[in-house]
Amino acid sequence: MLATYLLLTLIAVFGHFEDFLGTTLLSRPLILGPLVGLVLGDVTQGVMIGATLELIFMGNIKVGAAIPPDIITGGVLGTAFAIMSHKGPAIALALAVPISILSEMVISGLFVFRAVFNKKFNQYAEAGDYKGVQRLHILSGLLKPVLMGVIIFVALELGSTAIKSFLDLIPAWVQSGLQVAGNMLPALGFALLMNLMFNKRVAPYFFLGFMLAAYLKLPIIAIGGLGVIIALIVTQDAPKLAATASNDDDFDFDDTPAETTPVEPQHQLSNGTLRKLFLRSLTLEANFNFETWQNTGFAFAIIPVLKKLYHTKEAMTAALKRHLQLFNTSPYGSTLIIGITAAMEEQNALDKDFDEESISSVKLGLMGPLAGVFDSLFWGTFKVIAAGVGTSLAIKGNILGPLLFLIIFNVPHLLLRYNLTFIGYNAGTKFLQNLSKSNVMDKLTSGAAILGLMVVGAMPATLMNIKTPLNIGSSSSAVGVQGILDQIVPAMIPLGLTFLIYYFVKKQVKTTWLLLGLLALGFAGSIIHLFV
Amino acid sequence: MIKLTRIDDRLVHGQVAMTWTPALGADCLLVANDKAATDEFLKMTLGLAKPASAKLLIKTLADAIIFLNDPRGQNMKILVLVNSVKDAAALAAGVSEIKSINFGGIRTREGTHSIAKALAVTDDDIAIIRDLLAKGIELEVRQVPTDNKTPIETLI
Repeated sequence: MLATYLLLTLIAVFGHFEDFLGTTLLSRPLILGPLVGLVLGDVTQGVMIGATLELIFMGNIKVGAAIPPDIITGGVLGTAFAIMSHKGPAIALALAVPISILSEMVISGLFVFRAVFNKKFNQYAEAGDYKGVQRLHILSGLLKPVLMGVIIFVALELGSTAIKSFLDLIPAWVQSGLQVAGNMLPALGFALLMNLMFNKRVAPYFFLGFMLAAYLKLPIIAIGGLGVIIALIVTQDAPKLAATASNDDDFDFDDTPAETTPVEPQHQLSNGTLRKLFLRSLTLEANFNFETWQNTGFAFAIIPVLKKLYHTKEAMTAALKRHLQLFNTSPYGSTLIIGITAAMEEQNALDKDFDEESISSVKLGLMGPLAGVFDSLFWGTFKVIAAGVGTSLAIKGNILGPLLFLIIFNVPHLLLRYNLTFIGYNAGTKFLQNLSKSNVMDKLTSGAAILGLMVVGAMPATLMNIKTPLNIGSSSSAVGVQGILDQIVPAMIPLGLTFLIYYFVKKQVKTTWLLLGLLALGFAGSIIHLFV
Repeated sequence: MIKLTRIDDRLVHGQVAMTWTPALGADCLLVANDKAATDEFLKMTLGLAKPASAKLLIKTLADAIIFLNDPRGQNMKILVLVNSVKDAAALAAGVSEIKSINFGGIRTREGTHSIAKALAVTDDDIAIIRDLLAKGIELEVRQVPTDNKTPIETLI
């Protein structure tokens, strides 16, 4: 048993190690579930449970300082206990939800605590000791996987016997109640996604996605493909679509960016150095803390450039101090800022009159806006499509699900992130100016909203399985209500439920309450035989 | 109509574009900031970050006050963004419609202390906060719309 517990702990540690691996979604339940299944000898169960948890937590994303429940710890422990006790996905989620919320509190505490190292970082910077900065970034980053690993191992070692015997006491009706509730919970995930994307302008695409899935039974991968095509057509043929909102009145409206003085770098850094920037950017979030955020990750990433450019202690000290200032952006677009910064540092090293302050102000000016762009694109679009396709396969136990999930998300992610390093370095702010002068950005965000929403629309019909066993009439001539509903709108109950939860999300009801409410509704519905 | 007045030193970024704008149904983001209104580089980057569903206005504080008092703004759903407590107070003084201010994020600087995660204030800020509270304006701390509102008086 000890070996099994150690392996399970390693899986969770691997998940928490994602902060070093560039937010590549390796830590999602859809990926860790199958790994847990592999260790426990039941990959199919692991894939299916992972998909169930993914559906529920798919709307939980990290933006800014808002930390979602720790689904790594909750997912690994929940999946492990569910497989070990042979109780299936319903038990996994009943365990995963509270565990995730508890361990989120531990992690928030760690993010507060980590700020105490900032003094040490500054001492290293003062001494021009970039090696010290690198070392501490990694060591402090390791705190999270190590701490969570210890917690998980202790939980497994102390808890599994108790939890197994506790799970054995659960009567069958509670289990079927949990089952129904578990089928309902994805409505919360979908509603949270809708909340990111749904507005009047793109609402038709949600229903288009739904109809394609509900009536034509198209798989999500096909709907995603159609979504890409429709998004391309709409944004090409109607370039004004995005602009209409701004043209409806001329009431003192101004978002036309004007000329700025571009930074003209003289390029000296080798491609090898730039590749290092990309690779090191993957650890951007490793030492995340609530005081200075990703600052040490940024410093860690830019150090290869500083090493090449600055050969005196004074110059290195000044540069290190500059990059240990607060920083926070979307990891997906971070290399664009890192590349631009590299070009500016180079300029600074060559030109004695260069204004060092401008490096910081460009960094700080870009980090917020670019976070808006890249978070929306990746969380709101690529992640949604990847999760839609991945879970729809995985929920049936297909191992291709997790694989496609990683591929669909990370091929665009890593390609873009890699290339942005070079674009940032070579074109710098000029690239951004061109971008903002063209309407590429508007096209991109509109297209992404169409595509993402079509896939979200398909989700209730494809991924939620709630039916009613009610009959109308007496035993011999009884007519199933579900049959009638199916003839009008297939998947009417999942759709209705998703909109109900969306309504409450709009009313800003807390996610935890909605989770509990859905659990209660599923339970009650199962007991009175309203839902199966 | 002002849906929310938010202090956020990054002005428009991920949280604003992805959570606040859809949650409020805002169709207009108004950045009220003297520096942004004159700095073309800042204007450009803020323009990039703008969500497709809303328009973006970048104005000086004085112009923002004129704009917000203009009755033609009544049929817009406006999310007002400022980057300091001082600017928020100036706006609240000039615009009677502002009865509540959301504290999002203010990063640590020289002379600040953290009163919540992502929220650092100076002693001057606290004086302004007390003044605003005395005027009966609600001051609540929330990163994203689904967080619980924390009244700022419990933190200072």
